[in-house]
Amino acid sequence: MAKKDDVSRRQFLNYTLTGVGGFMAAGMLLPMVRFAIDPIMKEGAKQDMVPVVEVSKVTEKPQRFTFEIEQKDGWYESKVTQAAWVYKDKNGDIVALSPICKHLGCTVDWAASPAHPNQFYCPCHGGRYEKDGTNIKGTPPLAPLDVYKKEVKDGKLYLGQAVPQ
Amino acid sequence: MLQKMYDWVDERLDITPMWRDIADHEVPEHVNPAHHFSAFVYCFGGLTFFITVIQILSGMFLSMYYVPDIINAYESVYYLQNEVAFGVIVRGMHHWGASLVIVMMFLHTLRVFFQGAYKKPRELNWVVGVMIFGVMLGLGFTGYLLPWDMKALFATKVGLEIAQTVPVIGPALKTLLAGDATIIGAQTLTRFFAIHVFFLPGALLGLMGAHFIMIRKQGISGPL
Amino acid sequence: MHRGKGMKFVGDSRIPAERKPNIPKDYSEYPGKTEAFWPNFLLKEWMVGSVFLIGYLILTVVHESPLERKADPTDASYIPLPDWYFLFLYQLLKYKYAAGDYTLIGTMVMPGLAFGALLLAPWLDRGPERRPVKRPVATGLMLLALASVIYLTWESVVNHDWEKAEQQGKIVEVEIDKEAPGYKVYQKQTCIGCHGGNLSGGSGPSLIGTGLSAEEIANIAKNGTGAMPADQFKGTPEELKQLSEFIAGLEKK
Repeated sequence: MAKKDDVSRRQFLNYTLTGVGGFMAAGMLLPMVRFAIDPIMKEGAKQDMVPVVEVSKVTEKPQRFTFEIEQKDGWYESKVTQAAWVYKDKNGDIVALSPICKHLGCTVDWAASPAHPNQFYCPCHGGRYEKDGTNIKGTPPLAPLDVYKKEVKDGKLYLGQAVPQ
Repeated sequence: MLQKMYDWVDERLDITPMWRDIADHEVPEHVNPAHHFSAFVYCFGGLTFFITVIQILSGMFLSMYYVPDIINAYESVYYLQNEVAFGVIVRGMHHWGASLVIVMMFLHTLRVFFQGAYKKPRELNWVVGVMIFGVMLGLGFTGYLLPWDMKALFATKVGLEIAQTVPVIGPALKTLLAGDATIIGAQTLTRFFAIHVFFLPGALLGLMGAHFIMIRKQGISGPL
Repeated sequence: MHRGKGMKFVGDSRIPAERKPNIPKDYSEYPGKTEAFWPNFLLKEWMVGSVFLIGYLILTVVHESPLERKADPTDASYIPLPDWYFLFLYQLLKYKYAAGDYTLIGTMVMPGLAFGALLLAPWLDRGPERRPVKRPVATGLMLLALASVIYLTWESVVNHDWEKAEQQGKIVEVEIDKEAPGYKVYQKQTCIGCHGGNLSGGSGPSLIGTGLSAEEIANIAKNGTGAMPADQFKGTPEELKQLSEFIAGLEKK
């Protein structure tokens, strides 16, 4: 009766069943999946510029300053202390580097290694950076330290988000 | 391609008999609404199961945001409802599903009752069904507290007062549920959360498994 | 299928080497218009399910799931209400013979009897008859139970003050500056006892967005109004000014 390549009744039913089942699964799961992946889709909140230190206190030698930011973590709002290494470069411009090592996220320190007095040093795995944040070849980090967005207003230094160099 | 994958697994695990066992069972004429429209009453059990699946899924997703803690519970529910995309829908599915599942289960129970389908040899399945009913009401009661809003707290207070009226063990029962003899607070919330998310769903899955196995074994009850 | 001696297995496992064909049973010889569950009947079931799902999703979009304000255990004036499927029980407890000395009847005996009877129905109704009309006792009792549940639910819905219920649970989106001098006075003068820590009301009404001027509020604080007795305020005129201006400044957003 039926030709060989004809879709049999049973096959047809199975295809329709898959279709209807797929529709139901999609109807149920689409809102839920969109709900779950919301953190990926959300644009990062813009971070306000926070006053950190008076410009006059910034020297040529990097100094560590801490400042508090308002952090909004979903429903949880809190104040988080962040730190920055701040100095004036040769042209007198202010540079603010993040102390987070680009290797595995430890905290770097200025001139902490006696052998390298003019570098940032990470105690975890011996990562080193130049004064401008550039990572030194041959040490673990693969990228330079992040720099904070900065702004000088009324003689005060304001810092914002840390961005990769 | 799919067929080849199936054959590969089948050769090693012989899944065809299991699969046929699930797929092959008869649907007699008298329960098929395509033949007698009045047979739609047989749909209620299936719809109850369908909503239960939705409840489990939406509950799993809600717990990605929810915290069972009196300081953060409300904030997290508010956040997931108002600031997370589709939060209104996912929470809505869980909220309305909770009501719909009770409606469907109620109709299913009435269908079975008025058809006398609980009679020999199906007594055990009826008992399991009534237990599922109880578990569902328990899920509704414990879930009501979780958003930690006004009605949640005060309805639970009343519910626990009712538990307290049980002779002899009442006060102990209330303390067991609330986690504290007088306070309805932090410990109550975590207890209700545990009951709502782990204990009762576990019991529900076991009971529903038993319910379905018994139906398959005995077949659906015959026409009146 | 081959059984007994000479059975062949896959490797050293216990899986028979002989494959079983993956085809459905033949239902044509079954009595009546019996149908296969998979795929014939399941397809119909899932189509009903799809329609149901669409309606369900529309419901969730149209009716946002309700959320009241955050639980405040100190708010003693809140009238609690259970979810709708417990309303009949809630209503039952309002009646004389299910409350007071008889509370146990309302909370335990009656629900216990009903649930127990339901659980044991197969043993209470043992006859072979299945038709509802042929077992009048079972049918009658069930109809009676059903009618009373519907009646009790109806009664509780009619007797509940839904408008007040909506008011008392509303999320009030006003930031209360609890450091303001006016709030300090509010605390000190025990206004907080009746009007709540967030001024959203308690046994007294909400003080947010009253629409009254500072002078009117000061007058009420001194002389009372409605159920509020006079001379509640016992501070200095300076404090009264701070308080009344603070409350008058609370606007509904």
